[in-house]
Amino acid sequence: MIWVTLLLVAGGLALVRARDVFQRVVALDLLAVVVVALLALWSYYRDVPYYFDAAVAMALLSFVATVAAARYLGSGGPFG
Amino acid sequence: MISVVLDVVGAVLLLIGLILMTIGVWGVLRQPDTYLQLHAQGLAIGPGVMAVLASSVATENATIITFAVLAIAFVALTAPVSGHAIARAAHRRAARRR
Repeated sequence: MIWVTLLLVAGGLALVRARDVFQRVVALDLLAVVVVALLALWSYYRDVPYYFDAAVAMALLSFVATVAAARYLGSGGPFG
Repeated sequence: MISVVLDVVGAVLLLIGLILMTIGVWGVLRQPDTYLQLHAQGLAIGPGVMAVLASSVATENATIITFAVLAIAFVALTAPVSGHAIARAAHRRAARRR
């Protein structure tokens, strides 16, 4: 779990180091997936299943957000 | 007996998942291009998080395992779609710039 938290920090570093907007989108998708894994591990550790609700909702939201951002950027985004 | 087997399987899956996720984050940090970053993310992070979720068999809690199966199915369905969407958007942007 500590290791996944370190991975979260590394993902934030990737987000900060991104040079264009697609790299930022990739880093945000990565961060969402790492948060899903962190919530799953927290659920195992506490033996409480409710954290998985948040994990599934996080995966769904990140998917919708990524696809929306990609469609928006693909059709001529705001920063191009 | 079965509990020990499940513990060992869960620990091995957790180790595999953490190693894969570490490789994936390292790849996203190191690769210079969007497509290479997508390669690292799609091929390492997706299976890594699926392995971490699959290690829920060690908890022997029916609710947790059900939600983990749901989350695995969801990640397996959506990770390639979002990667493809990002790659297609980047390709279109590059084609328009040219």
